[in-house]
Amino acid sequence: MTLYIPGDGFLYRRHPVTKLVFMLCVAFLAFLGPGRWTPLLIFLAALLPLALFSGLVRPYGGALWRILAPLAFFLFVLHGLFNPAGRTVLFSVGPVAVKLEGVVFAALMTSRLLCVLGASLLFVFTTPPSALMLGLAQHGAPPWLTYVIGATLQIIPHMRARAAAITAAQQARGLETTGSLRVRARALMPMVTPLVLSSLVDAEERAIALEARAFRSSRPKTSLTELADPPVERVARQACVVCTLLLIGAGQWL
Amino acid sequence: MSFGEQLRKDFGTVTLALIPVAIVINLVVGQIVSALNLPLFLDSIGTVLVGILAGPWAGLVTGLLTNLIWGLISSPVAAAFAPVAGVIGLVAGLCARYGLFRNWWKAAISGVLIGVAASFTAVPIRVFMFGGITGSGADFITAYLLATGSSLFGSVIITVLSTNVPDKVVTALVAWAIARALPQRFLARFPRAEAVTPSPQG
Amino acid sequence: MIRVEGLTYTYPFAGQPALRDVSLTVAAGEFVAIVGANDSGKSTLCYALTGYIPHHFHGAMLGSVQIAGMDSRSTPLAELVTVAGLVFQNPVNQISGARFTVYEEVAFGLENLGAPRAEMAARIDEALALVGLEGVADRSPYALSGGQQQRLALASILTMAPQVLVLDEPTAQLDPLGSRDLFAAIHRLSRRGATIIMAEHKLEWIARFADRVIALAGGQVVLDGAPREVLASPLLEQHAIGRTRFTQVAARARALGLTSSDALLPVTLEEAVDFFRPILPKAINA
Repeated sequence: MTLYIPGDGFLYRRHPVTKLVFMLCVAFLAFLGPGRWTPLLIFLAALLPLALFSGLVRPYGGALWRILAPLAFFLFVLHGLFNPAGRTVLFSVGPVAVKLEGVVFAALMTSRLLCVLGASLLFVFTTPPSALMLGLAQHGAPPWLTYVIGATLQIIPHMRARAAAITAAQQARGLETTGSLRVRARALMPMVTPLVLSSLVDAEERAIALEARAFRSSRPKTSLTELADPPVERVARQACVVCTLLLIGAGQWL
Repeated sequence: MSFGEQLRKDFGTVTLALIPVAIVINLVVGQIVSALNLPLFLDSIGTVLVGILAGPWAGLVTGLLTNLIWGLISSPVAAAFAPVAGVIGLVAGLCARYGLFRNWWKAAISGVLIGVAASFTAVPIRVFMFGGITGSGADFITAYLLATGSSLFGSVIITVLSTNVPDKVVTALVAWAIARALPQRFLARFPRAEAVTPSPQG
Repeated sequence: MIRVEGLTYTYPFAGQPALRDVSLTVAAGEFVAIVGANDSGKSTLCYALTGYIPHHFHGAMLGSVQIAGMDSRSTPLAELVTVAGLVFQNPVNQISGARFTVYEEVAFGLENLGAPRAEMAARIDEALALVGLEGVADRSPYALSGGQQQRLALASILTMAPQVLVLDEPTAQLDPLGSRDLFAAIHRLSRRGATIIMAEHKLEWIARFADRVIALAGGQVVLDGAPREVLASPLLEQHAIGRTRFTQVAARARALGLTSSDALLPVTLEEAVDFFRPILPKAINA
């Protein structure tokens, strides 16, 4: 389903909303915080160690590389060569020259993305979807929101299987899916239309099932399970937000 | 109908059951298009459909959640573009509400409007968070524009518009075609069914 | 428990009514089966008995439906579902999608009803035991077989303790094994005194276990009585409803003159044995 990797440790035992708040604070600090080295500092001093202690270094590194590499590549090439602020030439490659200011800019952007991505991956890797939904509901998320998130996650494999079945059926009827652009474009509607129409019918029936489970009842809902949310974490979240705001403020005015 | 009443009608049980399905349609159709190697994204068909069938706010929610959930499943950076997807649903819903999905060429106009709105929402995010980069082939367009003297902002605007507007026009047409294929009595179950029925003047 | 008076209902944009002037009553503890050809109005009647008509489907409704004393038109659907539970054909679409395990899926209805947490475990365990799904409580609902999913739907409704259970062709999409297990669960419920209304095609099963059978054709009630009365009636053939194998064979024997022309036809295995015992020697020599 999600990128969640089962495990145990400090991060796994924290309340989902705590991790969410931490992630958002890091994201804001990375882009609005003081100093150019802040994002890299946060990553090296906080995020990477946390990944290490949670036993997630391999998947962490793998995901960071998978997502960042293409972005970093284009950032360095584009800005190194063509950033308007570029003046100091480092070296030339044929007709184009790599300039220092562009490279610095690319490095800064990459470190920011590294920091934000690093924080979000920590959150997603250590939070099972059920805990996330429960945690959000505990903090006031409306039932329809948690319903939609959970239902989406569960329907995905189901729908993928159906798309594969429709593709196979259409191909058996002679649908061409390779060849010229015109041929491939013509394959689109025969694959998409049955999928969407059948899904709409399912949605209609599922609405009846939801009513049957009293989802629209006006009675206050109770919960089968409960997630521990110790006061320590509550305080930590507030401290996190305050520190972030202070640091951002400091960065703007000093 | 007051705003509150319309909102409650828009977010009835059928809409709540529709939204997850629409989000998954976004994801799965996007993958079909990618497998067919077509030069489009087409990853917002579900969002536009919800905008048409259940109104702009339901469309907004569908778009936002699509990117947030994609962030949970595959790539957290997708979550940064949730506002763009939200705007797609919002504008689609508004176009539908003002009769712009009643025939194919009006749907195409809606596509242009959606594409432009999405682009203008995307550009600031691209520039400030990603330094103008998409990590895809579109960056070559940006590179060319930058090399020939345009500003970063200007280059990104042109790149994003040229990749987004055609894609959203096709998206709007596909969504229109699908909504039109729904039988009247089925369409009636959705809160904003009247957006699809062709008016007498066409 | 249920009282329907003069119910005529037309779906939105439909050319003609799906139900015409239907009147019936169901007493507490009865097990009523509804039979009819496709498009005879069975599903429509099921929806009307649980309040989805008029609240979910809208359309034009004349007449009245009283469910456990509540008028279906004036009571909101969210309240009606607490007294009348509905299980329909498609096993997968009845999975709410909101929960990741079978156990939590069953709990979903209880959470929506605001049931106290302390009560939940017992109610969920009881519902799972009733349908025979105790062993899969930790699995994802989507990982179950069709028959198991249908039993899960049943358990999820049962745990809400409705006063009436309405089932719309619950075995239509199941294989024979799945059907058998589902019927077993429904039979257990009936024996405990539950009020059950079930639309079904599998005549042999309802012949054995239903207290009463109502036959629908063209949206109207054409027969309403004991299983043997209804299922052996020649009207069933007329309305494309079909008959049990036992009835068909016995009708053949009767047509061949092996019994008197007004002999009552059997609908169950036991009745068929009694029917054929006296005539078997004659049949062999015929």
